[in-house]
Amino acid sequence: MDSATQRKWDEASRTYDFFTFGEDRRLGQHKQRLFSKARGETLLVAAGTGNDFKFFPPGMHITGIDISPQMIERARRKAASYSGRIDLAVKDACNLDIPDSSFDTIVTVFTFCSVPRPIVGLKELHRVLKPDGQLLMMEHVRSAFGPLGVMMDLLTPLSRRLGPELNRDTIGNVQKAGFRLRRVENAYLDVVKIIEAVHATAPEVKNEAGVIS
Amino acid sequence: MKQLAPIAFTVGDYLIGAAIGVVTAIVVRLAISPGLDMVIGMLVGTAIGLIVQALLGLILSPVLGLMETMVPGMLIGMYGGMLFGMRDSMGAGSRTLLAAAAVGALFGVIVVLGVKIYDRCLRGIVLDAT
Repeated sequence: MDSATQRKWDEASRTYDFFTFGEDRRLGQHKQRLFSKARGETLLVAAGTGNDFKFFPPGMHITGIDISPQMIERARRKAASYSGRIDLAVKDACNLDIPDSSFDTIVTVFTFCSVPRPIVGLKELHRVLKPDGQLLMMEHVRSAFGPLGVMMDLLTPLSRRLGPELNRDTIGNVQKAGFRLRRVENAYLDVVKIIEAVHATAPEVKNEAGVIS
Repeated sequence: MKQLAPIAFTVGDYLIGAAIGVVTAIVVRLAISPGLDMVIGMLVGTAIGLIVQALLGLILSPVLGLMETMVPGMLIGMYGGMLFGMRDSMGAGSRTLLAAAAVGALFGVIVVLGVKIYDRCLRGIVLDAT
């Protein structure tokens, strides 16, 4: 377990709900739309204080993990009000003690801006995702717009101390970890992205027009 | 009632943009005297803008959303600070503090508008292989 990261997010758990209040309301509809695609056994990585539980369809079985025990403690209260089953556990995304091919769906929300070794973490998700499973992500990434991207680079050393990094190439990292992109959508500028991916080895499908994807 | 929230966010975006512009313009005006080397004025202005947007962003982002506050805030604070620093080192335009503040507010509002237009252009599906 990465104790420095654990300490950082334990500290952040006290003010987490306050700082994510606006973001939840602005991006909530996107989360709800993304989470509606979840099916089967679902893993929510970096569950935080459980703010995102309410965006899942009712009746699911969700395993929520977070590196911070303080976050998980706060999440327990919100899990109790979800109309389905949520199991919570303290786990490091880079070192999941979970058997291979355990989940049908893995969900992350603003997670891989903060995981210190993103490709290692994504490879762990790849390992615990079933071969026909799906990865659903909402992540913020570095903007490709020059003036904005440069500023994100400049501010990242500061933002890293408080929480996330601003200049991650999460789409590239997802592919490096062995996933194939199924769908990518810009939710805010080219900074907040909704990413859907599957195992790179998953069978390709033909759409109605006969185009192989 | 459902329509109120997005409108409130939109108004809030413009208000915080104007606020970051005003505070940046005022602090830069107070910190940079005419005659200061323009390059130094530009660098000091940029640094001031960076600090102002980070502080105001930290205070207001819980209400308006982190990214929606930070992205225009960065553009207003850093590039606005740079421009205001150059202007004030040359002693050109906006002779009073009030005028400088008004230009700061205008700059903030224009940047927020630009970011919203850019968001409209970029938003949506960029890859669909389903």
